[in-house]
Amino acid sequence: MAANTPHVQVRFFTKSSYSVPSTPFSVPADVGTKELSSLINSVLHAGSGETTNVDFDFLIDGEFLRITLSKHLDAKGQSTEEIIETEYVERHPAPKPEDTLLHNDWVSCIQGGKEWILSGCYDNTIHIWTMAGKEMMTIPGHTAPVKAVEWINIDNGPISSFLTGSHDQTILLWSWNREKNEVDCINSCRGHAGSVDCLAVNFPKTLFCSGSWDRMLKLWSAELTSAGDVDDDEDENAERPKKKKKTGGKSRQTRVPMLTLEGHSEGISGIEWLDDSTICTVSWDHTIRLWDMNNAKQKALLQSSKVFLDVSYSELNQQIVTASADRHIRMWDPRVSEGAIVKCTYTSHNGWVSSVAWSKENEYHFISGSYDNYMKMWDTRSPKVPLYNMTGHEEKILAVDWSIPSLMLSGGADGHLKVYQYNATS
Amino acid sequence: MATKRTREALEEPKGDPVNLFKDVSDSDADTDSEDSVYSGLEEEPDTDSDNDNEDADSDDSYNSSDGRDAEKDISSIPLEGGSTDSDRDEEASLEKAIDIKAHTKSRNSGTAQATMKTESSTPQRDEYESDSSDEEDIRNTVGNVPLEWYKDYDHLGYDVEGRKIIKPKKADELDEFLNKMDNPDYWRTVTNKMTGQSVVLSKEDLATIKRLQMGKHPKGVENQYEPWVDFETSEVMIHPMTNRPEDKRSFIPSKWERLKVGQMVHALKMGWMKPTPKPKMDGEEVEEEEKFYMLWKDEEENDITKKYRARIPAPKIPLPDHYESYNPPPEYLFTKEEEEKWRNQDPDERRMKFLPQKFDSLRKVPSYPRFINERFERCLDLYLCPRQRKIKMNINPEDLIPKLPKPKDLQPFPTTQAVVYKGHTDIVRCIAVDPSGQWLASGSDDKTIRFWEVSSGRCLHKLSTGDVVKSLVWNPNSAINLVAAAVSRYVYLINPGLVDKLVVTKTDSMLESIKPGDDAGPSKKAPVEWEEIGGRDYEAGYRFKLSHPKEVNQVTWHGKGDYFASVMPKGDSNAVMIHQLSRQRSQNPFSKSKGLVQCVLFHPIRPFLFVATQRYVRVYNLLKQELTKKLLTNCKWVSSMAVHSGGDNLIIGSYDCRLSWFDLDLSTKPYQTLRHHKKALRQVCYHKRYPLFASASDDGTVIVCHGMVYNDMLKNPLIVPVKVLKGHSVTKDLGVMDCVFHPTQPWVFSAGADFTVRLFS
Repeated sequence: MAANTPHVQVRFFTKSSYSVPSTPFSVPADVGTKELSSLINSVLHAGSGETTNVDFDFLIDGEFLRITLSKHLDAKGQSTEEIIETEYVERHPAPKPEDTLLHNDWVSCIQGGKEWILSGCYDNTIHIWTMAGKEMMTIPGHTAPVKAVEWINIDNGPISSFLTGSHDQTILLWSWNREKNEVDCINSCRGHAGSVDCLAVNFPKTLFCSGSWDRMLKLWSAELTSAGDVDDDEDENAERPKKKKKTGGKSRQTRVPMLTLEGHSEGISGIEWLDDSTICTVSWDHTIRLWDMNNAKQKALLQSSKVFLDVSYSELNQQIVTASADRHIRMWDPRVSEGAIVKCTYTSHNGWVSSVAWSKENEYHFISGSYDNYMKMWDTRSPKVPLYNMTGHEEKILAVDWSIPSLMLSGGADGHLKVYQYNATS
Repeated sequence: MATKRTREALEEPKGDPVNLFKDVSDSDADTDSEDSVYSGLEEEPDTDSDNDNEDADSDDSYNSSDGRDAEKDISSIPLEGGSTDSDRDEEASLEKAIDIKAHTKSRNSGTAQATMKTESSTPQRDEYESDSSDEEDIRNTVGNVPLEWYKDYDHLGYDVEGRKIIKPKKADELDEFLNKMDNPDYWRTVTNKMTGQSVVLSKEDLATIKRLQMGKHPKGVENQYEPWVDFETSEVMIHPMTNRPEDKRSFIPSKWERLKVGQMVHALKMGWMKPTPKPKMDGEEVEEEEKFYMLWKDEEENDITKKYRARIPAPKIPLPDHYESYNPPPEYLFTKEEEEKWRNQDPDERRMKFLPQKFDSLRKVPSYPRFINERFERCLDLYLCPRQRKIKMNINPEDLIPKLPKPKDLQPFPTTQAVVYKGHTDIVRCIAVDPSGQWLASGSDDKTIRFWEVSSGRCLHKLSTGDVVKSLVWNPNSAINLVAAAVSRYVYLINPGLVDKLVVTKTDSMLESIKPGDDAGPSKKAPVEWEEIGGRDYEAGYRFKLSHPKEVNQVTWHGKGDYFASVMPKGDSNAVMIHQLSRQRSQNPFSKSKGLVQCVLFHPIRPFLFVATQRYVRVYNLLKQELTKKLLTNCKWVSSMAVHSGGDNLIIGSYDCRLSWFDLDLSTKPYQTLRHHKKALRQVCYHKRYPLFASASDDGTVIVCHGMVYNDMLKNPLIVPVKVLKGHSVTKDLGVMDCVFHPTQPWVFSAGADFTVRLFS
């Protein structure tokens, strides 16, 4: 058998502590990651009597080896004659499904913050959970399904604050006293003429912006108290009967946007702050727009041909990933305005990709949730095959979140919020 | 004498070598050729060397004759010739003088001196002792100067050793006279001016002088022009002149030739040198051309020859078959029944021309009775056979199909199922999308209308209707949030309250503010009653209820959103009703029914109304109230109709599986008919922005086609089927009941009999 299988020369190198000699190895061309991994292990343990095996992943020209070596080389058009420089890294451990947080209705949005998980639900309620999966609170308040939740502040003292956006065209600004476990709806932000689909708080936690189906991008103050708020308690009474109980009769003030930016021709589906003055929005009109908030105008426009459903920005590598209605995840460099602005396309999902989220710790990793019921963990260096597929949802996934580095969260139309434990290597 | 001696030398080579050579070299100037003959050599260098030798010899002779030793030697040498010393001297001196005289013509100077040679006086050495002209100058070294310069001196000049040559003592007149008287040789005695010596001329000298004076040959040669003896004869001798072997160089290729050839080759290669072209013999060629010509050249192009060349051979006589044999195999022989059958057959139908018969031998075969007939038929065949070449057309059927662009190039269009809207519990009959594209309404046989969020597939609102929902349309005006639904006999106007709250409240207030039109007086019995809805139904979203006399199958909005039409197929003359929302008024545009109305449509721009009956589509101008056009659908039962947003193109779906595209500017007949569906078409629709149209069919598929309409009037629409969308399962022989495009995205929604609504993106 060995006689008729072609061999290729492979030279291994690594940046991790597991190093092998840099002499090229001749390996059969039809080996996969598993065989190479065992090869490395056997080389590592050659002298000692160790038997603990470490799983490795192999990168050839910055791309993960996922199929057999020969097929990979064929696909890349690489010659099998040359010595193949192969980097190997320790394989990331598989995320472990840890918990399922049950909701009464579809989970439309999730955000983790520090130790708490905020989720919005189609039954108009907002939920706060602990990392352990204990429900802290169910907050009614909106009159229509909640579409977006966003933590503002969870660090300072016992009072935390968060935002929720809903189909009822309002954004509610809440304060949450963790010690007393009380929430107060401080402000109702009104101005949108469509469902508020996305929210983003800037880095100093002083401002937030919202994108809506009404095509508008609005900028608001994120302060708990702000001048210009209007007390409109009475005319909201009829619509929010439940609210009174929770907020303890405290008056709710209406906040108006500081700025409204028009430009998208269809609803905004995702929004991210890139830096203190730049906002990136993605929309159903197939465009990504960058807005300069200092000058209150559009800075750049990236045109695509598919509807965008979500966007995520990584501070680690300054890239954005977008989720599209065409099953692909695309990575863009917002700093580039010419040439190949789509840096990579990640294709594995079978349905619309509803949500994407970058890892906060690893510049290569992000997760995506799709209508095909899968959450996938991706490495940017492996565009065809994700690192892990996370099954569990019985219905389409509407939101994923990776704000807490150790937890991957996904919420879907089956009313489940799945929590996956993720331990990064070293 | 010299000549004689020469002869002697020729004849007797043994003679005195010194003198011999002297004579040859000095005196016989004209015997140079003879000289070469002596040497017997042909080549120049050898001649030179010979001369050198000769010179050397002459040097020897000089040496030998120089000085007294030489004199002694000579005197001591016994003379073979037998002549005395004095004789010889005299002879030699005279000979010399004459010799020099003979050379006067060629020599510039010295002639006079030579002739002046005199015999030196006794004390002095006789300078003529050795007879060499070379030594003349040595006797007196003053050179060629006039001797008058020395007339006052007592010497004439200087000899070789620098001693003065003393003038001989001149005899006085008396002595002269005495000498004149006494000396018999006085008359022939001359004085050599150079030496001052007196020389007595010999007889020969005198003879020579005499001959010279007479202008004859100085030596008295009788025949100057003696016949030439050709030693090198033209005849080839047996023996070579020289027996030398051939030179080595004659065997070695010449180095210089090689270099020269190399240079020429290089020059040819570089093109500096052109080979001389062969001289053209134009005259000859012309002659050749004239000599020969193509005999058949002119006739080649002739039509007649072409015709003959394309000759069609006469039809061939079929080869004889087995049954034609006189002794055919037994299986060819007919049985009785077969024979009977053969006889009953028409002669033209017979497979065999004659009855196969068996004979024992060839001589028993009778004469062939049909011979004449067959010959005649053959002649007819030859005469009447179609003499025409059959041109077979080789056309690839695929070439006849017009070239259509590939579907891949016609992106975007819906390709895959994206969202399934689940919730209905019975067949979904109709769907509608709100103008912004966020909401989808669907009406079903489960007597509900559901409102869905397009992006998530979430049902956000549900209305129970009490009866099957037949048709559902969203008001195209985004400022008015109303859905018209046809349920049984009623048309409901519903405000689902999903969109912008401002729009919702504005719509409600608009509906409240409007009042029924004044002209809808009680005198005219309006077939349709408007009824405002209040109470719980109002809370649910119902706003108006329009009661029709018969079951309503379809409602459709006008593009502006104020008028809408409803269709009651069984309503006879009231089949089509047009309602005006702002005036809450209904009217019947047609007084007479033209057939079973299937559906109606408003023209998107112009005030036209399309009314589709079973087989025809009539286009009415609502302003002029007249029939503008009647489209012949060519199908049996029209099921649905959609108009392009430009208004000039119309598609019709029919229950007999056809989709017909009408170009209203082109013709009243279908521009193109597509038969891609296997079962009845339920619905057809156009996309508002993208060049797409779709058809939903009972076979469970939605077929999306690219339908590009060009602004250029000369360019026909381009219709390319691009995608068959499968997803719905066929239940109860019903597949897809309705399809509608998303208003902004290239997506299509389909309502299926499998209780679901699906979105394909």
